[in-house]
Amino acid sequence: MNEQKVAILAVLTAALLVPAHRELAAQIASKLDAGQFTVNDGTVPSSALRLAPTFEYQTPYATLTAHGSAFVTEQSLQIADGVLSGTFTSPTVYGVRAEMIGNASRAVDERSLGTDQVDVQTRVHVLFHQRGGLWLGGGVARPWRVAVISSADVADAGAWTKVGGATFTATFTNFSFTKVASVHDTASSALSCAVATSGTVPGAASAMRFVADDAAASSACERQSRFSDLEGSVHWELGALELNAQSGYRFGDSYDVTPDSRRWSSATATVWLSDRVAVIGGGGRQPALPLRGLPARTFFMGGLELAYWPISHNTIPVSLPHATLLKSFDLRPAEQGLEKIVIHVGGVETVEVMGDFSDWTPLTVTRHGRDLWELALPLSPGVHQINVRVDDGPWMAPPGLPTMHDSYDRDVGLLVVKDNKS
Amino acid sequence: MKRSSLRSLPLRAGALLCLAAVPAVAQETDPFNKLDPNNRFSIELMIDSARNAGLPSDALRSLALEGIALKIDGKRIVDRVRREFTLLRTARTTLGPVSDEEVKAAAAVLNSGAKPAQLAAFKTREQGRSDLQAFTIWADLITRGVPSEEASSAISKLWEDGADDAIFYGLWKSVQTDISQGLNPGAALQNRIRETPVRTPQSKGAPPEG
Repeated sequence: MNEQKVAILAVLTAALLVPAHRELAAQIASKLDAGQFTVNDGTVPSSALRLAPTFEYQTPYATLTAHGSAFVTEQSLQIADGVLSGTFTSPTVYGVRAEMIGNASRAVDERSLGTDQVDVQTRVHVLFHQRGGLWLGGGVARPWRVAVISSADVADAGAWTKVGGATFTATFTNFSFTKVASVHDTASSALSCAVATSGTVPGAASAMRFVADDAAASSACERQSRFSDLEGSVHWELGALELNAQSGYRFGDSYDVTPDSRRWSSATATVWLSDRVAVIGGGGRQPALPLRGLPARTFFMGGLELAYWPISHNTIPVSLPHATLLKSFDLRPAEQGLEKIVIHVGGVETVEVMGDFSDWTPLTVTRHGRDLWELALPLSPGVHQINVRVDDGPWMAPPGLPTMHDSYDRDVGLLVVKDNKS
Repeated sequence: MKRSSLRSLPLRAGALLCLAAVPAVAQETDPFNKLDPNNRFSIELMIDSARNAGLPSDALRSLALEGIALKIDGKRIVDRVRREFTLLRTARTTLGPVSDEEVKAAAAVLNSGAKPAQLAAFKTREQGRSDLQAFTIWADLITRGVPSEEASSAISKLWEDGADDAIFYGLWKSVQTDISQGLNPGAALQNRIRETPVRTPQSKGAPPEG
């Protein structure tokens, strides 16, 4: 491993330890997966130490994510891939949320200089009190240096539901693009060229156009490709244990779907040893990703996840606000000796508070206007611990209140209720 | 058996079943039932001990309920409740006969990292003066990274100078703003404490504001 790569690795590791300012509306999250990774497709060392750092910059309605992975062998540090993603999410209005996703990625393997892809996608989500939802989306992906030579049209739809600690998701995604088929490409593509050349399959030739002169016609042609993925997945949290499993089937004719990508299944288990350290293990089969030039592969992995500021797991296929900016939080005297909690936050469906005054049971705050939420409570004089959350998001200390780490190492707000009698 | 008695038999049986079900329902709704019996016994023992010692036992109960709500491991909940018990006892011993609310707030300061000796300045106070706001600001400053010694020194000094709730709150808002803009927490407090107005010795005996 040369010094430059060691330096990059050191900087990445050090960056994971940079504390984030949680009191800001935006926050940084990071994690590093490190462990043994074994594949059988030959594009990376068959078994190597894999390092995969991830950074996220989260604001209430936008998230910027940088992710990469590298394989370390005795001789070298081989960068495998890198992805830069941005997600913009609109406020929820009557249960409907819009989402725009952009990705720029590069995948590198030992056989080529790498493949690049830029894709943009828009989705419209219908949320049912964040216990379930549907979405419909579409977008385009532009790959480079792969057999796909056109922009690919991507359309997807799906549904998800939460049952207890488990989230079930079903997704249907359709890909449509033009690709170059050659004898150097997959077996099925070579077949398609051969078929086109011989003209033995009626209709097949109409979808193809030879891209070279007659001499090369037998080894290269363009054809319209289309395939669809149907995938089901489950994410289940049980205390310190997290399980992820997915299984899928790829629809499409044999020219577009290789036999090794027809069906796939994989599963991973994560056991959190502490708030910031977890053990991960898993394996399975992944289908080919033609748009990124990645072949199907079987993989097994085992290792550690180090998360200085743990990245929230996207258990549902919509980016919910990570830290919705509460505009204000006030406590005012109400009728009959009650205290009224007044919160200003717009574009959300639910607001809840909990604290010592509710025996840590969530209490629903009532909407009284576009962004005004109120709840009258019998709060006794003294200092109360209180947290608030919106749209079933993470509990957080209300803005404008002093905070402290409580006995379970969580941030809680400290609400001082004065004794009006004195 | 009379016909009327026979007729009312199902009603009586139903009523008995309902009565028998009441304790079962009550058990279901008691969150402490989610704890392992040994852990539950330990926590209830500490709550009783706190009550007998004149400590605010509701703080221990609330802490246990929070742990249960967060699905924290039972042994960890017992550890945290035991630690809180110790903090409450230390706060009571240090502050003397103050209200339960003040003991709880002082325990929160100790939990944040302050030392018991640093609470001593709050042992004596003017009648009707509350240290709740001072304690919450103190806990917050330590949480935000202000060194414990510097935070306790600043808060104690302000308290001894007769600062009221508004002054403590104003100091906190200023320091919070500076920290969020990237200033070192300790330096932010030192800068702001110099700008913080306090009462003159002549007005020290006046009743607190707010």
